[in-house]
Amino acid sequence: MRAVPKIIAVGLGLALVAGVSGCSGGGSTDGKTEITWFKLTESADSANTTINEIVADFEKANPDITVKVEGRAVDAHKDALRTTLGTSGSPDIFFSWAGPGLGGEFIDAGASLDLEKYYDEYGWADRFSDTTMSTVTQYGGHDGVPYTQRTEAVFYNKELFAQAGIDAAPTNYDDLVSDAKKLKSAGITPFEFGGTVNWHVMRLLDSLLETKCGADTYQALVTKKASWADESCVADTYSEFATWTSDYVNPGFISINNDESGALFFSGKAAMALEGDWFNQQVRDAGMAEDSVGIFAFPTGTDRIYGFNENNYISANSKHPDEAAKFLDYLTSAEAQKKFIATFGSRSVNVDVVPADQNAFDAEWNPIVAASTGVYMNNDQNLSQSETTEYWRIQNLVATGELEPSKAGAEFQKFIDQE
Amino acid sequence: MTVTAIPTAAAPVANPSPKRKPRPLSRGRDWVRVGLWVALLFSVLIWAVPLIFMVFTSLKSEADIFGTPAFVPPWAPEWGNYVEALDRGHLLTAGGNSLIVAIIKVPVGLFISAAAAFALSRIRFKRQRLLMGVIALGAMVPIQVAIAPLFQVINGLNLLSTNLGLILPYIAFGLPYQTFILYGFFRQIPEEIDESARIDGAGNWRLFLTIILPLAKPALAALFILDFVATWNEYSIALALLQSQDSWTIPLALQGFQSQFTSSYGPLNAFTIMSVFPVLIVYLMFQRYFVEGAFAGAVKG
Amino acid sequence: MSTTSTTAPSRTSRTSRPRRRLARFGSTGFIAALPFLAPALVAYLVFVVAPALESVRLSFFEWSGFQGAPQVFVGLQNYVRIFTHDPVFWTALSNTVIWVILSLVIPVGLGLVMALALNRKIFGRNLFRSVFYIPGVLAPIAIANMWRWMYNPNYGIGVNLAQLFNLPWLADVQWLGDKNLALYSIFAAFVWQIAGTNMVLFLAGLQGVSPDHVEAAKLDGANRWQVFRNVVMPSLRPTTVVVVVLTIINSIKVFDLIVGMTGGGPAQQTQVLALWSFQQSFNNHEYGSGNAIATVLLVITLIIVVPYMVWTAKQEKNS
Repeated sequence: MRAVPKIIAVGLGLALVAGVSGCSGGGSTDGKTEITWFKLTESADSANTTINEIVADFEKANPDITVKVEGRAVDAHKDALRTTLGTSGSPDIFFSWAGPGLGGEFIDAGASLDLEKYYDEYGWADRFSDTTMSTVTQYGGHDGVPYTQRTEAVFYNKELFAQAGIDAAPTNYDDLVSDAKKLKSAGITPFEFGGTVNWHVMRLLDSLLETKCGADTYQALVTKKASWADESCVADTYSEFATWTSDYVNPGFISINNDESGALFFSGKAAMALEGDWFNQQVRDAGMAEDSVGIFAFPTGTDRIYGFNENNYISANSKHPDEAAKFLDYLTSAEAQKKFIATFGSRSVNVDVVPADQNAFDAEWNPIVAASTGVYMNNDQNLSQSETTEYWRIQNLVATGELEPSKAGAEFQKFIDQE
Repeated sequence: MTVTAIPTAAAPVANPSPKRKPRPLSRGRDWVRVGLWVALLFSVLIWAVPLIFMVFTSLKSEADIFGTPAFVPPWAPEWGNYVEALDRGHLLTAGGNSLIVAIIKVPVGLFISAAAAFALSRIRFKRQRLLMGVIALGAMVPIQVAIAPLFQVINGLNLLSTNLGLILPYIAFGLPYQTFILYGFFRQIPEEIDESARIDGAGNWRLFLTIILPLAKPALAALFILDFVATWNEYSIALALLQSQDSWTIPLALQGFQSQFTSSYGPLNAFTIMSVFPVLIVYLMFQRYFVEGAFAGAVKG
Repeated sequence: MSTTSTTAPSRTSRTSRPRRRLARFGSTGFIAALPFLAPALVAYLVFVVAPALESVRLSFFEWSGFQGAPQVFVGLQNYVRIFTHDPVFWTALSNTVIWVILSLVIPVGLGLVMALALNRKIFGRNLFRSVFYIPGVLAPIAIANMWRWMYNPNYGIGVNLAQLFNLPWLADVQWLGDKNLALYSIFAAFVWQIAGTNMVLFLAGLQGVSPDHVEAAKLDGANRWQVFRNVVMPSLRPTTVVVVVLTIINSIKVFDLIVGMTGGGPAQQTQVLALWSFQQSFNNHEYGSGNAIATVLLVITLIIVVPYMVWTAKQEKNS
């Protein structure tokens, strides 16, 4: 039945294409192969510059290939992937988070090319660590090439902490709460979040879930092996979450986004931000004094660090997979990665590239990473898209006082059961 | 596309009468007038607040935005915001796309609608009323209803992220409304005109092109302007069909800029202003079509 | 029902009948009409009718929307799901209904008042009209951006007015963050956008009010209200019908403003059917649910609009 409109459409299309085609380009022109790369616009400007430099270097070395970089904001990028993958409009290379909820969905849909051939050809298996390789092989084949390994933790403004009479970063959850109390009574917003992009506040909820439930239950919950309605730690999580959002997060957070709330941190209005290693560069770009900012892992009490992996995938229907693989090889090479890590954060996916002359601020990550034995992943990567939408809805209902924290877990479980 | 006001018969309305001399006797009524005027002025000021807010912000440096009240004019205009918005926002590419789309879509769409309206109103065939009704029904279909399958159709044509892939559905979604309006207009043209033309040996095409279309100029002109504005502003179809940044139209570029540079309030407002500039110019140039009289006879039941 | 003096007399079938025979060959009949109709019909069928029908069909399937992914027939399951399990559907439906009803009252009423006030010679009339009307030509997505900035909790209008008038509570209003307020905050932007358009339509209608009738009524001793009620209102009826229909059509598919201002948040409290359908299909990749919601929206539209169309057709026959 779908064929009927298509036939009419093709007929009409042919008649009209003759007239107005050429309005928009694509593919290869004058013997050059153009490959498209859909990626995130990096939050730090200098990181975008780095990417452009790396692309320019690659194009210089491979004059027959041009790389067209299309950057988007987080949500726009997700939308673009969901609508283009599998269609003629899909890019040759696409960036995605590697977890089952995001990257996994595309791989299930057959949007990613199995890269085993290129892994052999370029010897990539030796280039990446076992952890990052596991994100490539977790779906059975060889999907994607590692791009970044992100870790997230709490950034804090040392001066504001001092003003509130706090002399050290908290090492357990109770300290964190009491520090927040002190900050608040000193007239300082303890924590900044932007609520319109749901995944930002989600970081707080995820971290509280890890704190209250512990590593094993966290994993059981997000893989739906345990019930959100039955585990009592879920109710504790939501009630802690409600306390944080009503008492210790910037008022009105629900109607601003992460950029706007980030400005509160940069301008010294908020004392803490739950961000990832990309934030170092943003702090720098925003002109904050680096030595006034410290980083500590969210004190969950487990030894897992909050984080996720990002990979670049080659589209299953890319017309130029060889060129795309060649570019990804360059992107992860030692030469490019040296440039990359200078602005992108602390660690390279290439095991041969170790940070040289790391400054003190970036080095703050080293003990945090060293102390962790595992990762708890952002839940929009663990859960499916529609589950994530619901997870966010409930999170926001609790944050706005619309839903009692004790009922939140059951509400979410109800949705999971009905799927 | 948003359905906006309908113009049809242009009629000279409210012709400027010679300047009235002051009437000293009606002072009592003048107070009513003054009261009304003050009330109007007050409402207009309120109405202008968002525009003023935006213009002021677009000309303030970051420090001023955070440091001064929003209603304080930007005494030292920061034109750099506009440069920055142009620089980072793909505004020119998007403007070019919007222009190409509008310049092709509007006349082609109007011509197709006019031809259909001509057939429906001036060539007799069975069930033509019903057909008009079915077409008019299309004006009521919320675009979002069809977006997901429309995406599949355009994808099937291999036209995602192209100007043409946007122009085709735009034409189709504009048709029902325009055909309906032009149908009403054509029916007001006396049939005797057709008959004398036919006696002179004119066929349907000559009748349509040389007689009916020229007579419909006022309606076509007003529809042209309204359609240009609606096409320029359309967002939801473009959102689904244009994935590549190079193919973005103005509303997508604006939304893209908004999501990337939310906290750069100055450049964001500058970008918004620049994005609405073309329609403002069109509005100011053709103002009389919108406001003065051109809407009389708007109502064809 | 035309309202101006320049329009032509309506056709009179009596005079044209004998001549029509002359013109029959080649100039009447469906075949003759086809070349004129074909482009419109093809475009309409391919890009409007077929997608609308396809969306009804897809509402009975489960599909992720990815090319090559299987479409599985599930009968009415998507409808059962949106009516009984979908935690957002009813919010979206009731918001849509609220939006349509409010649109019929506030911007229509305001437009009428503006038109009555500006339908007289008054200093600065054109400027007033322009300021009221200009928001109507701006892209809704641009309007959304402007108003988002106005509602900014840290630097927006509330904060500024609070400082100006020393009203601290005003600074704390979460225009777009308060679940009870957000929908109405967006609606304010909609009123700002659309009232001027209604004003222009009413102004056009007012040109059809015969000044002689108004004068006659005044001479009979009618006061302002009576003149309005008995002379102006009846002449405005056709215009009002147009305004009402346009308002329903435009408000039932509100999308851009909400995407631009809240994206449906906080916690889906400003969700409407058009947007929820879009998000289910494109963001959650639940094409079945998304199209089921779209079908509901289509049915609601038809329920409102078809009786109106039938009614107009009857009116036309009678006249």
